[in-house]
Amino acid sequence: MHMQVNKRIVITGLGTINAVANNIPDFVSALKAGVCGIGPLDIFDTTGFRCQNGGQIKNFVPRDYIPQDFSLKRMCRADMLSFAATLEALRDAGLYPLPQELAGETGVVIGGGSGGLLEADFEAERFYKSLLENKGIHVRFSRLSTVYCASSSDRIASNLRLSGPKATFMTACSAGATALGYARDMIQNGQARIMLAGGVEPMCRITYAAFNALKSLDPGVCHPFDRDRAGLSLGEATAIMVLEPLEAAQARGAKIYGEILGYGVTCDSFHMTAPDENASGAIRSMQAALLDSGLASEDVDYINAHGTATPVNDVMETKAIKEVFGKRAYSIPVSSTKAMTAHTLGAAGALEGIVSILAIAHGFIPPTINYRNPDPQCDLDYVTGGARPADLRVVLSNSFAFGGNNTTVIFGRYNERGARNG
Amino acid sequence: MDNRQRSDTTKRVVITGIGMVTPLGIGKEEFSRRIFAGDCAVAPVQSFDTSAFSSHCGAEITNFQPRDFISIKNIRRMDRVSQLTSAAARLALHDAGLTVNSDNRDRIGIVLGTSFGATDITVQFAETLLKDGPALVNPILVPNTVMNAPAGHTSIELGFRGVNTTVTHYAVSAETAIAYAVSEIRRGAADFILAGGADILSKFYYEGLTRFGTLSPLDKKIESCRPFDLGRNGTVAGEGCGLVCLESLETARARGHKPYCEIKGFGQGSSRTKTPTAWPDDSAGAIMTISRALTNAGTPPQDISVISAAANGGTTLDRIEADAYTEIFAGNKSGPWITALKGALGESFSSGGIRACALALSFEKSALPPTCGLSNPLAQLKFVRQREEEIEINNALLAGISFGGTYVYLVLGKCPDK
Repeated sequence: MHMQVNKRIVITGLGTINAVANNIPDFVSALKAGVCGIGPLDIFDTTGFRCQNGGQIKNFVPRDYIPQDFSLKRMCRADMLSFAATLEALRDAGLYPLPQELAGETGVVIGGGSGGLLEADFEAERFYKSLLENKGIHVRFSRLSTVYCASSSDRIASNLRLSGPKATFMTACSAGATALGYARDMIQNGQARIMLAGGVEPMCRITYAAFNALKSLDPGVCHPFDRDRAGLSLGEATAIMVLEPLEAAQARGAKIYGEILGYGVTCDSFHMTAPDENASGAIRSMQAALLDSGLASEDVDYINAHGTATPVNDVMETKAIKEVFGKRAYSIPVSSTKAMTAHTLGAAGALEGIVSILAIAHGFIPPTINYRNPDPQCDLDYVTGGARPADLRVVLSNSFAFGGNNTTVIFGRYNERGARNG
Repeated sequence: MDNRQRSDTTKRVVITGIGMVTPLGIGKEEFSRRIFAGDCAVAPVQSFDTSAFSSHCGAEITNFQPRDFISIKNIRRMDRVSQLTSAAARLALHDAGLTVNSDNRDRIGIVLGTSFGATDITVQFAETLLKDGPALVNPILVPNTVMNAPAGHTSIELGFRGVNTTVTHYAVSAETAIAYAVSEIRRGAADFILAGGADILSKFYYEGLTRFGTLSPLDKKIESCRPFDLGRNGTVAGEGCGLVCLESLETARARGHKPYCEIKGFGQGSSRTKTPTAWPDDSAGAIMTISRALTNAGTPPQDISVISAAANGGTTLDRIEADAYTEIFAGNKSGPWITALKGALGESFSSGGIRACALALSFEKSALPPTCGLSNPLAQLKFVRQREEEIEINNALLAGISFGGTYVYLVLGKCPDK
């Protein structure tokens, strides 16, 4: 059977807005300093909830990020955030304005929130309110499109006049990670020359209410892998990457952050909201990503954990890491950056993809902050004493979701001969 | 030695099973009989009161008994989209001759497209929050508010644990899901993937469409779905789930299962629209995407024998789609036969899955079902009307076009005998 050599796909631009930083340079500083972005929310009224905290984006004034050429009129918060991060990523890649011939072959894929109507910012709430109050008579249905998360990739493509593929993933907390893998495949398959890939998740009272009802929220600030961890903290973020083939990036002399080496997608087939305690889905997800990347478990230098800080997830993930990495599990640094950024659901996989790439590019391991007491069931090296300088070649990032959806993405430092030979 | 799993673009992906729950029947026997006979599922909506709306018709699934397909244990946890999906998945696996067991369960997956998900549940959830406050929100509802719930429930009900993902992109949700599943089979990420789409006709969805002016009648004329007809005045809301079972030609041959057809390739594209909910102004995006799909599949336009169109009776969509085919197949007297099944099934936005099932049946029967509601075609194209048309099908196009300017075209081809 004729096998094709896979095209190598590299990352040449990054953009993000999240609870600890509104751009990439600030995000690097915050990750190194271990800044916690979780605090009292003022974006909506938290009366009646068990928890009043979250990872809210600060000082986001859309016009500071989006030039006058683009109308903000029909954009919801998710659209504006993701478009702003897209512009940062394109500028970072030296591709803004995007030449017309490239726009024709550029696509966009966004991982959206944990559920259509639930995840789409205040538009959703305003929409339902008017629906209920007016008994459906005077509802502004022009708002409906922005309530659905496919709206963000539509706006990005339309604003930048992209004619490549466009897709939206909705697998809750693994969506952003799957979007990155999908984007790599679309370039490898020849469907696009450049892919803008990532995720967006705006803070939304409806989503907050869902996690509140499930009692998944830590009333204070989340502390992953800690003995007394009591749940997650919800956050908002957008994270967008520019992906292109290695040769194209080299030909235009682009700065190369790193490479997407592989990804794996599996399913628990166990329970809709609880992770499988045997960790089978998570184990197979990491194994599938290793297989796809052609790497052995010994090649992994750092694991950016899903690490939500729910009692079950952190034990399950620890167990899965031990299963996949054997004795070496104890010597691989594992950290959850959700203690800084909070859990940004549909955006989380993409945001932590950016964390992984920045860790490789800037030579450090971001810490698990807010950690106080060791848990006998969580006994790996969680990098709890602040950021660590490190020479990283290969980083593995986990994202696990409601519905039993698991995605693992593996990132590598760019060097000519491939990640394993660096 | 590099042991990287390689994406093998030469791997041939085939459809070996189909499963559907539709307004025109559940399971392939009933569906096939009715769709090829030209039955139309459009009728006055029964499941909710439409008196406040300007439209009153829909294409509803009326005889679905979840108990026929789903275990008691799981059934009560599932919303309606999840039930339709689980049932269609069971039918597709059965049709593909597959039994999920501990040897193959990690290599079987699902890629589902849904445009709006469980709108019945999300509205109920939001209503409680807004009326009664956060404390009274029912946690039992939460798992079904996420769009990936149907694929999750289906994997639990049927016990498969491979690739599992959910795509949403309005009217191209299912076509995108099928295209991604093809690429996942080629990547070697799974041996078998169920791919397609599922959406339901909820009151919320219906009301949304009436407000957008999407539904027939806009002008108090006859209320019906008339794809490609000069007198078309909007679409009719539909619902349903259609899934195809995909695998590589080698696996199908190895286990001695005859495929319906091959998915030879696909193309995806975007174009600019004035507003997020607007349809594109012209056919440029569709033409570009068809040409991408044909190139990807290595199939020249003259080799396309049939097209399953996206047309839904909407004023703009049907015109730009007809323009695209006129442009691409112009001057070709033996141009493709075209059918638009939304005339019979209504518009569920993720109908691509059901239409893929129908195309698979077309390969099997060498016939194309008629376009219901079409009497005065808007263009001189070879539309299948009134009755099914017997056609030797070598290659087929499955069209997906969405408002917001998104396109997916799949190229299906006859499976080689040996």
